[in-house]
Amino acid sequence: MIKKISYAVGALALLFGLWGVYIRLFEGEQSTNYGSYIGWGLWVAMYLFLAGLAAGAYMLATLDYLFDMPQFKGTGKAMLWAALVTLPAGLASIGMDLGHMERIWKVYLEPNFNSFLTLMVWGYTLFFILIAVSLYLAFTRPEKSAMKVVMWIGLVTAILVAGGVGFLLGGNANRLFWHVGLFPVQFPIFALASGAALMLVIVGWFGPKEDHGKRADQLWTLAVLTIILSVVKIYFMVSDYTQSLYGGVPDNVIAVQSILFGQHAFSFWVVQIGLGTLIPLIVLSQPKLAKNDFVAGLMGLFLLVGYAVARILIVVPGQVAPMLPGLAEAFSGPKLTFDYIPSLMEWSVTAAVIGFSILAILIGLDRLVHFNEVKK
Amino acid sequence: MSNPNEATLLKKYASEVFAGLVAPLEGVEISPLTADDPLAKEDALVRMQRELQRALEKPVSERRWVMVIDLRKCVGCSACTIACVAENKLPPGVVYRPVMNEEIGTYPNVSMKFLPRPCMQCDVPPCVPVCPVTATYKNEEGIVVVDYNQCIGCRACMAACPYGARTFDFGYTYTESTPVAEGMIVGRVSAEGYERAAAFEYSEEWPRTNLRASPVGNVRKCHFCLHRLNAGMLPACVTTCIGRATYFGDANDPDSLVTELINKPNVIRLKEELGTEPRVYYVV
Repeated sequence: MIKKISYAVGALALLFGLWGVYIRLFEGEQSTNYGSYIGWGLWVAMYLFLAGLAAGAYMLATLDYLFDMPQFKGTGKAMLWAALVTLPAGLASIGMDLGHMERIWKVYLEPNFNSFLTLMVWGYTLFFILIAVSLYLAFTRPEKSAMKVVMWIGLVTAILVAGGVGFLLGGNANRLFWHVGLFPVQFPIFALASGAALMLVIVGWFGPKEDHGKRADQLWTLAVLTIILSVVKIYFMVSDYTQSLYGGVPDNVIAVQSILFGQHAFSFWVVQIGLGTLIPLIVLSQPKLAKNDFVAGLMGLFLLVGYAVARILIVVPGQVAPMLPGLAEAFSGPKLTFDYIPSLMEWSVTAAVIGFSILAILIGLDRLVHFNEVKK
Repeated sequence: MSNPNEATLLKKYASEVFAGLVAPLEGVEISPLTADDPLAKEDALVRMQRELQRALEKPVSERRWVMVIDLRKCVGCSACTIACVAENKLPPGVVYRPVMNEEIGTYPNVSMKFLPRPCMQCDVPPCVPVCPVTATYKNEEGIVVVDYNQCIGCRACMAACPYGARTFDFGYTYTESTPVAEGMIVGRVSAEGYERAAAFEYSEEWPRTNLRASPVGNVRKCHFCLHRLNAGMLPACVTTCIGRATYFGDANDPDSLVTELINKPNVIRLKEELGTEPRVYYVV
């Protein structure tokens, strides 16, 4: 039943998303709400989220293929497949954000290696190849040393690309809210946390139905992992916000206030903290509930929504403080504003990306990965 | 009229001008200008134009273009902004040189401060290294340029610029959705031709006929009117400034007006603490 609903949700999201993709491809970017002052919006945030998800999924696949943890045996292929789907989905999201996406080849053939963006594109390309090779080896010779070598390289690459995204923002000294030294450290942890949440959904909702005891063990281990990672994540966030407010530097204060009390307050308190953090933490800390397939999957979904919103609340608030006083009012014109709420077309494109990811993961779990067989 | 010298000056010239209007060339004696007369001074524009020609004779790499903006003279008229829009045929939402207004004090003790903000043409530009395809770079003359045909539109440079000096061309036009009256030259019919005509940034033609082609989808910025400089003309914002508050020239020329101005202690640069080494100076 859950699978059918998930297929329907994925298909509907994709269907709604095709409208936005059509508008983007054939009419350009005027229907978006990001602009010249807030230049990076929902699509960039979703890239951070989905690429992080791919890195996290890969990290968790190593529990099966690299570290041979007994309770995760049989989950590796599903996680590798999820990584293989979510990474291109994230790259598609950022691709839509490009003013001239037809020139993306230039990043490969005419690159500027001083640019961290170039390093990220190359890094993610390498990571995609590593995921594909890992999955191929998982099907053909999972017990061979080649698999271990590739998984080691893949694990290091996953940590580096996840940390690289943190650097992409944190390295920007002119955006004080992003310029946090620990960003490259935080992001791999965020990635691992989102990977664990995805695994809760995959194991809880779509895992093999026989061998209930083992699945309950997996879910409980994932619940404990999720609780630890969520607490670490909250600690990072609280320390970032309190430091910013206590330091009193206007750019930081404006950014944090926009999250806590401004236009992002609902997203932060209700979605990120309430739905995406507190409810899962409370529910998953109860062993009975955490071992329940449906409940664990649902909490995984809540966590994923919370992590996605958390990415938006890193990307957007970093740009809300005017670079110079009075800049917002100095010249009027379309998209010369420091207010940002994603437009319907932006949500539509994101729905397409998410819908594609849901369908591709489900089809993969049904047709390619053979969850039941590999579990033995 | 509180200043007696001002009053005398006005009285003298006003009477001469008025007399000239009423009875031109008859019985009006124009007094010759003395060396200390303010009207005897060479206009800054004339001097800068002469210095520009001198700079253009030098090898490109030996020029160091700088802009100096005298905030004491700026009246916040935004003529420079509009001149820039017209010169570069900037579409809606793209601006190279806004003028920021800041209100100082509380009523009734208030005054206004104006801050024109072109691109700072930083010597250590944060926008350049972040570009994944080297579409933006400092050219030989030290001006930070954008290669529209190379730019992929990722907006990383916009995020990196601490001055907000870059805007994105989303392909807007002024005439879109404007009314058209048949048989009359109004709205889109008359204006569209002008709007679609080519801009001449970077000494190339950039027609706005195809709204999917560059510079649409690119990040755009002030380039000190490079195309005008190449043609021996000062930037549009400089020639348009009604208060002669914007100066431009070669800082490698020890006799230039800009060198004279930036060597004084009352100049500042914006956000100098970031180490960007801007080439735009403000006289305060």
